[in-house]
Amino acid sequence: MSDAAAAVQHHGPPQGFLRKYVFSLDHKVIGKQYYGLALVAVFTGMFLSWLMRFHLVWPNAAIPGLQWLSRVGAPGGVMTPEYYLSLLTMHGTLMVFFVLTNAPFAAFGNYFLPIQIGAEDMAFPRFNMMSFWTTFAAFLALMTAFFIPDGPPISGWTAYAPLSAVGPDAGPGLGWGQNCWAISIALFCVASLLGSLNFIATTLDLRAKGMTLMRMPICTWAWFITSCIALLAFAVLLPACLLLILDRIAGTSFFIPAGLVVSDRLQPHAGGSPLLWQHLFWFFGHPEVYIAILPAMGIVSHILINSMRKPLLSHKVVIGSMLSIGFLSYMVWGHHMFLSGMNPFSALVFSFPTLIITIPATVLTLIWLGSLYGSNLQITTASLFSLGFISMFVSGGVSGFFLAQPSIDIYLHATYFVVGHFHLVMGVAAIFGIFAGTYFWFPKMTGRMMNETLGKIHFWFTFVGAYCIFMPFHYLGLAGNVRRYSSFVDDFMAPLMPVHKFITIAALFTGAVQLVFLFNLIYSRFKGAPAPDNPWNATSLEWTIPSPPPWDNFGGKHPVVYHDPYQYGVEGASADFIMQTSPEKLPEKS
Amino acid sequence: MSHANVAVESHAAGVMEERPFAIPSSKLVMWLFIISDAVTFGAILFAYGYVRNASADWPTPFEAPSIWNALLMTFILVTSSLTVLLSLRAAQTDDRRGAFNWMLVTAAGGTLFAILHLREWMSLIREGVRLFQNPWGAPLFGATFFSITGLHMAHVLAGVIALVVVALSYRAGRHTAKHIEIVSLYWHFVDVVWMFVVPLLYLMNMKH
Amino acid sequence: MNPAEKSRGMSTTYAVYVVIMTMAVFQVLFAFEAGPSLPLMLMLAVLQASLAVMYFMHLGQERPSLVLALIPYTIFIFFMMNMIWSDSVRLLHMRPH
Repeated sequence: MSDAAAAVQHHGPPQGFLRKYVFSLDHKVIGKQYYGLALVAVFTGMFLSWLMRFHLVWPNAAIPGLQWLSRVGAPGGVMTPEYYLSLLTMHGTLMVFFVLTNAPFAAFGNYFLPIQIGAEDMAFPRFNMMSFWTTFAAFLALMTAFFIPDGPPISGWTAYAPLSAVGPDAGPGLGWGQNCWAISIALFCVASLLGSLNFIATTLDLRAKGMTLMRMPICTWAWFITSCIALLAFAVLLPACLLLILDRIAGTSFFIPAGLVVSDRLQPHAGGSPLLWQHLFWFFGHPEVYIAILPAMGIVSHILINSMRKPLLSHKVVIGSMLSIGFLSYMVWGHHMFLSGMNPFSALVFSFPTLIITIPATVLTLIWLGSLYGSNLQITTASLFSLGFISMFVSGGVSGFFLAQPSIDIYLHATYFVVGHFHLVMGVAAIFGIFAGTYFWFPKMTGRMMNETLGKIHFWFTFVGAYCIFMPFHYLGLAGNVRRYSSFVDDFMAPLMPVHKFITIAALFTGAVQLVFLFNLIYSRFKGAPAPDNPWNATSLEWTIPSPPPWDNFGGKHPVVYHDPYQYGVEGASADFIMQTSPEKLPEKS
Repeated sequence: MSHANVAVESHAAGVMEERPFAIPSSKLVMWLFIISDAVTFGAILFAYGYVRNASADWPTPFEAPSIWNALLMTFILVTSSLTVLLSLRAAQTDDRRGAFNWMLVTAAGGTLFAILHLREWMSLIREGVRLFQNPWGAPLFGATFFSITGLHMAHVLAGVIALVVVALSYRAGRHTAKHIEIVSLYWHFVDVVWMFVVPLLYLMNMKH
Repeated sequence: MNPAEKSRGMSTTYAVYVVIMTMAVFQVLFAFEAGPSLPLMLMLAVLQASLAVMYFMHLGQERPSLVLALIPYTIFIFFMMNMIWSDSVRLLHMRPH
């Protein structure tokens, strides 16, 4: 192959439906595919949470049609306690892997990372396509669990051994349901590996002339750091899943201790340790939290700067904080295991970096808030969701201080306090980041504007609704309400039922509001006002090209970058904002 | 490598930022894959250490023949690392025939390694070692041994296939010295993993 | 590869090959004579691997920034994994018999 002959194009314009929309090599199509997959997963996951919330407050009421989903799990439409756990597992797995990892990182990253650095495509388009289709196969493998007679596994998204490892004896869904789960997650690890390799190579090697590392937008940095984390975090989950599959299918016993009696049967396993699974899982699991939240932080910073019309207080400190979050994310996994029977000394060791990691997170928050102070913020749906992200991140993050301390965690562990904490700080916050990104980039992705009025309605109801759902979780947890129970009808938890009723109503309502978003998305795609190239007067490279971009992004041209990414409100400049590609000389700062 | 990556590899001079590491993207990706895979092997070896530590009756069955066999396998694998370097050197000095032949020698070394390994497996199986059963003690011995060496052997076999494919495309003129270098990186990595597998799985489990 | 490296030939590679194989033989002989000692075995393995990485994989000839990007990160991960040992040792005392 001759290097000189191939100056400009990776691949010609795609021909035919399959190459164009299905097995496309175009990073933009792949980004949209990831987004579509995340959309399917998020609505499925949300629907599951509806079913669970409904069951919690009306445990004996039949849900019409549920018996069709599973005859064993929901006879006559009333779900069994086990089926509640099955739905819980699927809700968690779908949301963590297929929504929080896929949407802000793989979907937006795929679409905008190459454009923001001035590249025509990812470094390895074929890897990119394989990465998506492997993720899709993982999704199918997971969804297959719904169609197995005894339903999806009941072991939760963390698949704690020995429950997940001993097989069908331990309960419904732990036969082939759990196998589907393990296979799905192993596939997901491979897909993530391919994706993160591609992201790192693209960011480092395909930057346009003048796009130095420090001139990359903050969200490009966030995707880059995230892919560095994902590269090695998923590498630990993969062997863990392989060993779990061996335990389940080949009769080994990495995660199962000796003398375990399950369902009155002595298990033919000996010598393993359930703690080993927790160590391997959380070694991946905690970095995973930051894989979900860092891209959202990047997206939100990117949008807020645009809405404030001025850069953040410090570009370098933001990037440094994200880097140190990435570094520290590997040192804290044990804080998930304070009550697992882990060595109490380790608990102390893990608690310290867990508290340290709040420092870069706080620095980021202070930089956002400090930059907002005195700025002339333009209220768009995207900037509202960005503010909402900061609000959720702070509210959820503060409860992390409590959970980080082993002594307090003894009381709070496995209560609704934890559920409230991680739903706010990682779930809702990252979802708000996804919403912000969607409202901000939709014009670029489709060439049409989203409806701002519907968007603002969507924001306010979602914002208030999310607090109505997840704030009371903290109070429930403090009152001793345990998580993963399928009903609270007796004992000390019965007086908490009114709170649960309130939460369920809020959840049903907030979920319904998301249909406004879905409607807005579909309606604007076809009937929205046509979008100009740069509707937000933004400076980064994605706004220098047509909306939607042509298949080779820059039309065969090579952009040249002259400025830092966020030149807003520069004194003495010809305009309020200076594009990164504008050759205009900036006046010297005096 | 297909034509899809051609432009990226050419990295049109003067219109893009310099690569920070001054190596082709495909080589960077191979390095990143290697550290990721190293962590995968690391995690599974740590898991082995964990269950070994936690078992009171961990068997140490390997006698001299097994150890010598392992040493022979080390010799073959390290030598094949040398031959792939010879191939790379031949390719870099435009000795196309030499490069192709050394690649095939390397692939043959990998195959021989896998055969010796299978012989080792078969002899263990004849002695009664199963995935979760053995005549000496903790049943997890077989599980760790077969899973770790199995994962390594899967890497060896994948490497042999990659070597043959790259060798054939090199002869057909589709691949260059650069591709031989990238596949050689992977092959050395398989070698490096083996350097940890021998002491941890064989020598630590030898009869004494 | 620049011309200077090409002319240097394979002599370094052969030397490294001999050293690695000597270490492997020494490792085995030592294990036969004195029984396997984990620290020594691991130290030899790390030395062998470093030689292979630096000379076979030519990491020593790349820019130092590449070495700094790959190696410390990987070592850091392995370093952190050592947190699991305290639990595996305790498990012996918690066995059900």
